[in-house]
Amino acid sequence: MSKTDGEVLATPKRRGLSLDGWAVLLAFALAALVRAGLFKHVPW
Amino acid sequence: MADAVVLPQVQPVRPAIQFLKLVPGVLLLGAVGYAGKLLEQNVGKYAKAHHWTFPNIEYVLWAILIGLAISNTVGIPQIFRAGVATYEFWLKAGIVLLGSRFLLGDVLKLGGASLALVVIEIAVAIGFMTLLGRVFGLKPKLTTLLAVGSAVCGVSAIIATKGAIDADDEDSSFAIAAILALGALALFTFPLIGHGLHLSDHAYGVWSGLAVDNTAEAAAAGALYSDVAGKLAVLTKTTRNALIGFVVLAYALYWASRGQAQAIGNKAAFLWQKFPKFVLGFLAISLLATFAFFNKDQIGALANLSRWAFLLTFAGVGLRTNFRELAKQGLRPFAVGAIGEVVIAAFTLGLVLGAQKIFHW
Repeated sequence: MSKTDGEVLATPKRRGLSLDGWAVLLAFALAALVRAGLFKHVPW
Repeated sequence: MADAVVLPQVQPVRPAIQFLKLVPGVLLLGAVGYAGKLLEQNVGKYAKAHHWTFPNIEYVLWAILIGLAISNTVGIPQIFRAGVATYEFWLKAGIVLLGSRFLLGDVLKLGGASLALVVIEIAVAIGFMTLLGRVFGLKPKLTTLLAVGSAVCGVSAIIATKGAIDADDEDSSFAIAAILALGALALFTFPLIGHGLHLSDHAYGVWSGLAVDNTAEAAAAGALYSDVAGKLAVLTKTTRNALIGFVVLAYALYWASRGQAQAIGNKAAFLWQKFPKFVLGFLAISLLATFAFFNKDQIGALANLSRWAFLLTFAGVGLRTNFRELAKQGLRPFAVGAIGEVVIAAFTLGLVLGAQKIFHW
C-alpha cells in the first residue's frame, strides 16, 4: 500500500503574502504614486 | 536521574535582515541591466562613427549576455544570490504594470484568441511529451513534470506540480534544468526564426508566448524582436499561466487515483492556491486604464516603470543560467525536453500562421 493512500492534501494556510502578492502590492503602490502625481515623469 | 535534554533554540530571522540580504543582488541586477541599456545606446553610435557594420543589439540581449558571462565565468558570489533570485518578483510586478498599456477590450479580444490557441497548445504538448517520455523510458512522474513544464509555464508549473503529485526532488531538478536550458536556447533561436520567416510583431509575440516555457524567457524572447512583440508575448504567456491550476489539479487527481499522491480536499481552494495572482493584478490595472483612471502621461510613466522592472528580470535570466550546472543534470531528460520543444515550437508556429490568416494579424 502506498504511503499516501488515504491521505488528503489540505490547502496549507500560509502566513503573509506570497511572492505574487508582494509583486501585485508593489505594482499597485507604484500606480497609486503615479496617479497621485508623485512620479510625474519616469525616464527610460 | 537522566540529564535534562536541552533543545537548540531556533532564532527567527528578522524581516529587516532578510530584506537587507536582498540589496546586493538587486543592485547587481540593476547594474547588469543598466549596463545593457548603455551598451545598446553607445555601441551602435560607436560603430556608426567608425563606419563599422554592426547589428543593432537591444538592451535585452546585452543584459542577458552580460549576465551569462558573469554566471559562467566568475560565478555569482553568495552575497548576491538572494537578491538575484528576486528577478521573478520584478517580472511579476512588471507584468502587472504592463496592464496599463492594454485596454480591457483589447485584453479580452487578444486574450480570447490566445486562449483558444493556448488550450490547443496545452493539450498537444501534454500528449506529445507523455508519449515521448514513454518512448525514452523516463520515470512517469518525471515525464509528468516535463509535460507540465513545457505545456504550461516552465519552472513555476513544475514546482506547483511537484508538491501536488509527490514527485522526487531529483525529478523536479531534472525537469527544471531541461526547461531552463531550452529556454536559454529559445532566446537566441526564436528571433532568428521570426526574422527568417518575416513574421509580423503580432504573430511572433503570440508564438513566443505560446512556445517559450518560462515566463521570463518568453518576455525576453518577445522583447528581443520588438516592443509590440514583447507586449503580446507577455499577454499570451499570462493567458497560459492562468491555466496552471487546472492542469496541476488534473495531474494531482490522476496520481491520487493511482494511490501515488495525496487526495485533494477542497478543489476550489486548491485552484485558488495555484492560480497566479499577478494575472488578477494585470487585469485590475488594465481595467483602471480602460476607465481613464490614468491620464496619458501617467500611462507613459507606468509603462516605463514596467520596462525598468523587466530590465531587472532580463539581467536575472542571464545571471541565474549556469550551463555547467545544467549539463550536470543528465542527457535523457534534456533530450526528451529538446525533442518536445522543437515539435511544440513547430506546431505552435503552424497554429499562429493559421490564426494570422484568420485574424489578419
